[in-house]
Amino acid sequence: MRLSERARAISPSPTLAIDARAKEMKANGVRVINFGAGEPDFDTPRHIKEAAVAALAAGMTRYTPVGGIRELKEAISAKFLNDNGLTYSAEEIVVSVGAKHSLYNAIQVLCDVGDEVLIPSPYWVSYVEQVKLAGAVPKLVRASLENGFKLLPDELRAAIGPRTRVLILNTPCNPTGAVYGREELEALAEVALAAGLVIISDEIYEKLVYEGNRHVSIASLAPEVKERTVVINGVSKAYAMTGWRIGYLGAPRDVARAITRLQSHSTSNPTSIAQAAALAALTGPQEPVREMVAAFARRRAYILERLRALPGVACPTPEGAFYVFPNFSAYWGGAYRGRPVNSGTDLAQLLLEEAQVAVVPGVAFGDDNCLRLSYATSRETIGEGLDRIAAVLGEIS
Amino acid sequence: MRFEEAQRIKNLPPYLFARIEELIARKKEEGVDVISLGIGDPDVPTPGHIVAVAMREVQNPANHQYPSSAGMPAFREAVARWYARRFGVSLDPAREVVSLIGSKEGIAHISWCYLNPGDVALVPDPGYPVYGQGVILAGGEPYYMPLDPSRGFLPDLAAIPADVARRARLMFLNYPNNPTGAVADAAFFREVVAFAREYDILVCHDAAYSEICFDGYRAPSFLQMPGAKEVGIEFHSVSKTYNMTGWRIGWVAGLAEAVQALGRLKTNIDSGVFQAVQLAAAAALDGPEDATEAMCRLYARRRDLVIGTLNDLGWRLSPPRATFYIWLPVPKGYTAATFAETILERAAVVITPGTGYGARGEGYCRISLTVPNARLEEAMHRLRRVLAGRN
Repeated sequence: MRLSERARAISPSPTLAIDARAKEMKANGVRVINFGAGEPDFDTPRHIKEAAVAALAAGMTRYTPVGGIRELKEAISAKFLNDNGLTYSAEEIVVSVGAKHSLYNAIQVLCDVGDEVLIPSPYWVSYVEQVKLAGAVPKLVRASLENGFKLLPDELRAAIGPRTRVLILNTPCNPTGAVYGREELEALAEVALAAGLVIISDEIYEKLVYEGNRHVSIASLAPEVKERTVVINGVSKAYAMTGWRIGYLGAPRDVARAITRLQSHSTSNPTSIAQAAALAALTGPQEPVREMVAAFARRRAYILERLRALPGVACPTPEGAFYVFPNFSAYWGGAYRGRPVNSGTDLAQLLLEEAQVAVVPGVAFGDDNCLRLSYATSRETIGEGLDRIAAVLGEIS
Repeated sequence: MRFEEAQRIKNLPPYLFARIEELIARKKEEGVDVISLGIGDPDVPTPGHIVAVAMREVQNPANHQYPSSAGMPAFREAVARWYARRFGVSLDPAREVVSLIGSKEGIAHISWCYLNPGDVALVPDPGYPVYGQGVILAGGEPYYMPLDPSRGFLPDLAAIPADVARRARLMFLNYPNNPTGAVADAAFFREVVAFAREYDILVCHDAAYSEICFDGYRAPSFLQMPGAKEVGIEFHSVSKTYNMTGWRIGWVAGLAEAVQALGRLKTNIDSGVFQAVQLAAAAALDGPEDATEAMCRLYARRRDLVIGTLNDLGWRLSPPRATFYIWLPVPKGYTAATFAETILERAAVVITPGTGYGARGEGYCRISLTVPNARLEEAMHRLRRVLAGRN
């Protein structure tokens, strides 16, 4: 059966593939140190689980409105106002099956065939595939390590062409952990607005920022920016709820309506009881979030300390998320026991096979000089993993 | 408007129920007690043993992390066991089953896998709107196969022009059928297999209502037919069988390469189904069928009430053998829309104009049986009052 050109053009999500392989090795009894995880290693807080149980007991098992229950939309509206200074009415909010699904919906309704979408690189893997699926053209714009992996206004301006329609911004960024400050966002917004671009702002890691850094939503800069922006967020990373599959977006009413219409033709409502859980997450005590962020902050300091002790490894300080994105290019051209090491892909394979350490090669995010390590894992794991990495690097000559 | 919608969204047909919804809203504002026989959403809650599994599993930290996009082995194996037990169909859970966020999700996205812009997909008319809309969203062209009452609402494959059949990549079918309540027999499915082979078409069969059957009838799976698994896939879910519409879980099963193509595509659209929901669905599939049987008896009684009422009012309907829908020809002088509006206006009962399911739905309205008995009885009283002596 011949697949469509689009289906042939898209690749399976590589981060999930590597994570699956590490899990498989683990299942076979191999002790794998896994830096591949894209999710918190904490359990969903108790009061959130209890809300799901209560919803089950109350018989919340039927269809809900396609774009989410009213109470949840109102809680999201309050969250946008309190956390981001953004005013979205319930009609401007759509709840979907995870932030990935929110992004997919936004790209589908905003992109026509042949439209160009600017994606700062390094980037989260699924942006590119979702843009291709919409028949649009992903255009990667290099954000350099020297600038902390942040896109500069001049770089953005230079990348805009006649068919450019959308800019996807991700702050805090997966994989680099970069967090854009207010002035940096203002400068980018000015360029984007002048060119008539629409901004899709992926803010899923919003709550995970460190050392006094503050998350700023680009939509909050000015009403005219908000009118051109779709803000993507969700409960997965903030509340350790990746498994529950609830994401949401805020957008101008027309866009929210079109997305709801699209969703009514694809998934219908997100899981009813997961909506009840998300409602409890947003309206309940926020102490678990603070505790989780404090734990991530400690691990982040530790993994940075260990990475920087490795000769030849460059790693800008990630201000948010739970990833580090170190550059290992000083080792390219070397060999490990006669096996050449010329890229992040080579190194990631070497680490998995020789040291049972799972990392994601940076090529999955557009930079094969780097590896992505998640520190959403215990300090002991980080310590042992870095010991093993150091041992492998020490043998590369 | 500052945002221009993408062409594919503009291509979606306008929402046909807008006027009806406006009327409903107005009635409700006026304080009128409106009874909706519009949506097929089972009114009885999910059986307790399934809810109990979900209650346990939502608290299990293992389920708080990302599910695998294709579905847990535990869920896919339960689907395979169910197919073996129910239909005698053997499925390899690792290769021939993938979980979906409700069967609708797979139906909507399979067109992305196989249609290039301009490719044709064969779509039943009337039919569940997602078939055609999925095709349109992917840039394909639906070719509508009329479902005619004279043929038991089965498409006439011989009437499909050869040049259309040659350009067609997909064929959507749905038996037991929404909205007509029609069923398909093995002979028809065999004909479909031969047709699909001849023209190299992937058959996408929606079997969502296979368990909602009456009077001893048991609906077949398309995959039961010899050769079906080489040309077809089947979409199914626990929504209708176990009253789990809000949970959002279904699956696609059948031809491995198509199941896997959809699975690969999906990794970029979503990250799978909440594992607590997968495990609840697995418990549903492995568990006792008495709740489903009781539901079918309940729907059969409701069906008889509605058919009896309508036949008293002058219709000559035979009771459908499956689904919880009644496909009602409207009286002379009405269109689907004017009849639905009249019933809403005068009886405060919502029924769905058949045109919501395609051009061939003109002249029909759909009545759903998924409201509590007392409400359905009240709705029938109102119809008697309003329609007596009219038909």
